[in-house]
Amino acid sequence: MSQAQIRIDGVSKVYHRDAIEIPVLNDISFIVESGDFLALMGPSGSGKTTLLNLMAGLDKPTSGRIFVGDREVSAMREAELARWRADHVGFVFQLYNLIPVLTAFENVELPLLLTRLGKKERREHVKTALSIVGLADRMEHYPRQLSGGQEQRVAIARAIVADPAILVADEPTGDLDAKSADEILDLMRRLSGEFRKTIVMVTHDPKAAAVARRMVHLDKGVLTPAGAREMAELRGVQP
Amino acid sequence: MKYFRLVWKNVFRKKTRAFLTMGSIILVMVLIVVLVSLLDALSGESASGSLSGSRVVVQHATGLANFMPLGYRQKIEQIPGVVAVAPEIWFGGTYIDQRPENFFGQLSTDPEVWPLINADVEIPSDQIKTWQLERDAFIAGAQLIDRYHWKLGDRIHVQGSYVQTDLDLVLRGIYKGRDESNIFFHNKYLENTWAGRSGQTGVFFMRVKSPEDVPRVTDTINKMFENSDAPVKAMPEKEFTLQFLEMMGNVKLLVRSIALIVLFTVVLIVANTMAMSARERITEIAVIRALGFRRAQVLGIVLSEALLLSLLAGLAGVAFSYPFTAFLVEGMKRSPVAMFAYNFRVAPQTVLVAMAAAVLIGTLAGFVPAIRSSRVSIVDGLRQVV
Repeated sequence: MSQAQIRIDGVSKVYHRDAIEIPVLNDISFIVESGDFLALMGPSGSGKTTLLNLMAGLDKPTSGRIFVGDREVSAMREAELARWRADHVGFVFQLYNLIPVLTAFENVELPLLLTRLGKKERREHVKTALSIVGLADRMEHYPRQLSGGQEQRVAIARAIVADPAILVADEPTGDLDAKSADEILDLMRRLSGEFRKTIVMVTHDPKAAAVARRMVHLDKGVLTPAGAREMAELRGVQP
Repeated sequence: MKYFRLVWKNVFRKKTRAFLTMGSIILVMVLIVVLVSLLDALSGESASGSLSGSRVVVQHATGLANFMPLGYRQKIEQIPGVVAVAPEIWFGGTYIDQRPENFFGQLSTDPEVWPLINADVEIPSDQIKTWQLERDAFIAGAQLIDRYHWKLGDRIHVQGSYVQTDLDLVLRGIYKGRDESNIFFHNKYLENTWAGRSGQTGVFFMRVKSPEDVPRVTDTINKMFENSDAPVKAMPEKEFTLQFLEMMGNVKLLVRSIALIVLFTVVLIVANTMAMSARERITEIAVIRALGFRRAQVLGIVLSEALLLSLLAGLAGVAFSYPFTAFLVEGMKRSPVAMFAYNFRVAPQTVLVAMAAAVLIGTLAGFVPAIRSSRVSIVDGLRQVV
């Protein structure tokens, strides 16, 4: 079994707002194989981001279990989970979420501060990551000095700099123009194909979903069987 | 150290706010340094005179308004450990006019023993000899020389108040090093006044062999005269000086209260700034937590920001306090409290106190925002922008 295989096993998630119970996910089970590129689709409020957060170890399920490789992520304590995320997961957010007071270099360096790498090694890793996303010449630029597409590429560099096996992306093209979105999707495709990252991407955008190899459709917290058919339609082939 | 750049950049994320907050801490630091130095000066902790701990003052038990028989001097001189005893009278006259800036101490003394008691001041020996030989000679502190531009040989006139005689004195010596705002003249000059005629003196100013002798000698003196018509109170020089301040109330308590109030106020100001800064960064904190930063690391980073801000401001405050203290000292030298000006300086331990206060401000102000930041839910924090 690959280290990056993600296994979702009967996962449910219920939020509590005051005395009200809000069920968000209901008995979800599926597997994301190592190196797979999965698109999570569904309408707003269907539970996509919640499922993504659970798979990335940002939140814990109300019931059910989540395994990544041979480790049960859903059973980890908080500090252990933080270490696990630092080692295994890279994050890409819709609004890039770069730290505005840090340069592109410093933003990308952030995850490496949690490692034992020395300053020189960190510098090499950051340069490599920024080269992969095509921004080696913008290292000293602050986020405000970059376009939205460039900011998202810096965010992707930050996500891959520690060489995690898994990338989770929450609407990575949601705030970009078409051209920038295409560049980001190309980059995601390259990370999946060339660098063999396991990618889970939440998206509303059918064009973005078409880049993925597989799609899971969520509706009202449950998986719907439309995934395979929709995928084929998106790629222009008959199911 | 690898988080220092992140901490530094967060501190100066909003420069105006950071500098205004630092400004408030700097003001408090200057105030704390000045107040602590003032307390030291009042307590004589920074006294430069090396013999300060070996000097004793004897006054009438009921207060300075009452005089004591001069005959006590011989008895006191017999006590083992006593080096020299000089009877002194506070003349309290008027020089030029009664404005406060023309106030200074005018003390009659015995010039023969004065140099022994005040061996830690600087005065040329030939000037001492001239002073001792001439009945109308006086010596003055260097600060008075600066103030009035006196030169050796100049004559001054001091109008008597409660001692019904005027002084016409000639300057024969200038001393430096300790309370330079006094003049000293011969006891003989007052021989024809009521004080001289009745064989009385205001105080005995004396020196003992070592500071260790002080408790025994003062105790012996107090017991020696306790059943006489004029019981006395013998005390270390420092205590004698402080009783003037106590006449104005509990100055130390007042000074400490002010320091604590401003310290508390600035803690609230800095805490508010840090809380605002942390609130504005909830999403960023959620992001770095998602990247793998643990709660303790977030707590450390936010607390370090408050500490860095306070320490930088503390250092600046201490730096500013030196010229400010020097300015105050110059002002004090020309005031009725000039006797404290010579002890008024920023001591190394005062700098430590100020920096400890800066650490305290940073810790107290940063603690709550740091705890709150470390408890930010990643999911909720990320949701704020999505």
